[in-house]
Amino acid sequence: MSLILGYVATLLVTFFTYNIFVIGLNIQFGYAGILNFTVITFMAFGAYFYAVFVMPHANNASQVFYILGLHWPWPLAMLAGVVASGALGYLVGLIALKRLRSDYLAIVTLATGTLVYGLFGNNNKLFDGWSGLFNVNQPFQSVATNHPNEFSWIFVVFSGVVMLVVWLFANRLYASPLGRSMRAIREDQDVVDSFGRNSFKVRMLAMVIGSVIVGIGGVLTIQYIGALSPAGWTTGETFVVWAALLVGGRANNLGAIVGSLLVAVVFNEATRYIPQVPSHPNLIPNLRNVIIGGLVILSIWFRPQGVLPEKKASFLEVPLVDKYAQGFPGDEPENALSPAASEA
Amino acid sequence: MTIFLLNIGFGLVTASVLSLLSVGLSLQFGVTNFVNFAYGSYLGVGMMLAYTFSQTLHFPFWAAAALGTIFTGVVSMVIAEGVLEPFVRRRKSLFYMLIVTFGLSLVLDNLLQIFYGVDFFQYPVAQSSPVTIGPFSFTTAQLEIIAIAVVAMIGVHLLLSRTRLGKAMRAMSDNMDLARSSGIDTKNVTRWTWFLSGCLAGLGGIVLALNIVSFQTNSGETLLFVIFAAVILGGIGQTYGAMLGALVIGMVTEISTSFISSAYKQDIAFIVLVLMLLLRPQGLIPAKGKA
Repeated sequence: MSLILGYVATLLVTFFTYNIFVIGLNIQFGYAGILNFTVITFMAFGAYFYAVFVMPHANNASQVFYILGLHWPWPLAMLAGVVASGALGYLVGLIALKRLRSDYLAIVTLATGTLVYGLFGNNNKLFDGWSGLFNVNQPFQSVATNHPNEFSWIFVVFSGVVMLVVWLFANRLYASPLGRSMRAIREDQDVVDSFGRNSFKVRMLAMVIGSVIVGIGGVLTIQYIGALSPAGWTTGETFVVWAALLVGGRANNLGAIVGSLLVAVVFNEATRYIPQVPSHPNLIPNLRNVIIGGLVILSIWFRPQGVLPEKKASFLEVPLVDKYAQGFPGDEPENALSPAASEA
Repeated sequence: MTIFLLNIGFGLVTASVLSLLSVGLSLQFGVTNFVNFAYGSYLGVGMMLAYTFSQTLHFPFWAAAALGTIFTGVVSMVIAEGVLEPFVRRRKSLFYMLIVTFGLSLVLDNLLQIFYGVDFFQYPVAQSSPVTIGPFSFTTAQLEIIAIAVVAMIGVHLLLSRTRLGKAMRAMSDNMDLARSSGIDTKNVTRWTWFLSGCLAGLGGIVLALNIVSFQTNSGETLLFVIFAAVILGGIGQTYGAMLGALVIGMVTEISTSFISSAYKQDIAFIVLVLMLLLRPQGLIPAKGKA
C-alpha cells in the first residue's frame, strides 16, 4: 500500500511539474508565437542554479565539483534558480527577438540548448559534468521524518499549490492587456507596431515570463528527485513538453493540463512498463521518442488547435467571420467559422 | 607559429565539410523558404548508409560513399514529398513547418539509433600517415575531403549558372510567384532541390565521418548549429554566401584552437552566430525578403 501511495505521489508531482513546463511554453508559443526549441534547457538552468545555491560548498575530497555552494535556505535558493532561468531567457531574447523571422529565434534557442548541454556536460567544474549533481538538499526534510512517503505527499501539496498559482497567473495574463498584445503580435506583428505598441518589449516579456515559469518547474523537479544529470534533459524531453502543448491545445491553459496529463503522465507511464529487450536496451526509449515526434507532426496535421482549442474572442455586435477571425495564420479556413465563432 | 599554420590547414578541412553542408541547407531554404531542422539527421543517414554499403555489403568505399550520397538525396526527396510538401500545400504557417521539421529530426535520430545502436563506427579505409605540404599536414582522407568539396562547389556553381534547373532554382529563390507565372514547373524544381539538398547533406555527413574517423549515428546533430552559423553568416538562402560562411566559420573555429581548448571550438561558432544576428542579421551577402 505504501508503495502504491509513493508511486501515486510521484505521478502527481510529475503531472504538476510538466503542467508548469507546458504553461511556460504556452506563454511563449501559444500567447506570443515564440518558438522555443529548447524548453528543457531552461528547466535545467533553474534546477542547477537552485542546487548550487542550496548545497554546501563543494567538498573536493569527494571528487564532486560544482560552482558556488552557498548553502542558502531553500526558498531563497529557489528564487535564485528561477532568476537564473529568467536571465537565460532574457539573453536569448536579446539575441533573437529583434525584427527577425521566427526561424532565427528557433535557431538561436536550438543553438543555445546544444551549447549549454555541451558546456555543462564537458566541464565538470561547473555542475559536475556528465555525472550531474546529487544529494541536493530537499525542502521539508526536517518535518517529514516519520515515513518515507511523508515527504512525497507534502511535496504533492507544495507542487500542487505552486502549479495552481502559476495556472491562475497564466490565465490572468491571458486576459490582461499585456496578454492581448502578445496574442495580437502572434497574429500580425506589423499591426501591433502600427498601433504604437513596443512589440519587442512585449515579446521579451513573454519570453522571460515563460522561462521563469519553466525554471520554477525545474526547481520543483530537482527538489523532488534530489539529483539531475545531463541525461535527464535531452532534446527528447523538450519534445514531451511540445507534444503536450500541441495535443492539449495551444493558447489554452486547460489544454495544457489535458496535454501534460495525456503525454507526460499517461503515455510516459504506459510505456515505462514495456519489458526491455535485452539485446537492444535503448529500443523502448527510442521508440517512445519516435512516437512523440510522430505525435507532434500528426497533431499539427489533424488537429492543430489541439484537444481543447483556444476560445475565440466573442463580440456582441459583430459576428466573427472569415478574415477577421482570430487564429494562427495558416489554420484551416473552416476553423475560422467554427461554431464558437459563429454563435457569438 | 607552426601550430597556428597547422590549424589553418585543419580550418581548410573543416571549411570543406561545412561548405557541402551549408550549401545544401541554403539551397533548400532559398527555394522552399523554411529552415529544415531535420537537416542534422540527414547527415546521420548519409554516414550510416555509406557504412552499411561498405562494411556490410562489401562495396568499395568510393562506391559506398556515392550510393550513400544518392540514397540520402532520395530519403530527403521522399520525406519532402510525403511529409513536408503536404503541409506546405495546406498552407501551414511558418511556425508549424518549423515544428514539423523539428519533430522529424527526433523521429529520424531515434530510427537511426534503433537500426544502428549507440556504438561508434569506423569506415573500412586505411589510416595513412600524414602528408606534409609546406607548413600544413594532412591525412590522405583530409586531402580527399578538400578535393571532394572543391569539385562539389564547382559542380553547384555550374548547376546554378549553366543549367535550366539551376536557373529555375535561382528564379524561385528570388521570387516564387514570378517564377511560377513564368512557366517554371515549381513542384518539380522543389523536388529536385530536396534531392540535391539531401545529397549534399549525405556527402557532408560521409566526409565528416571520414574526418573525425570514429562516429556515432548522432555525430552530425551537434554540428547543426555550426551549419546554421555558416548559413546565416553568408546570408540565409544565398548559395555563394553559404560557401563564404563555411570558409569563415571553418577557419575561425579551427584557428581558435591555437588559443583556447579545442573543446570550446563550437562555442566560437555560436559567438560568431550571435554577433552576426546582433550586427548584421541579413548576412554578408543579403538576400531580399529572407531576414
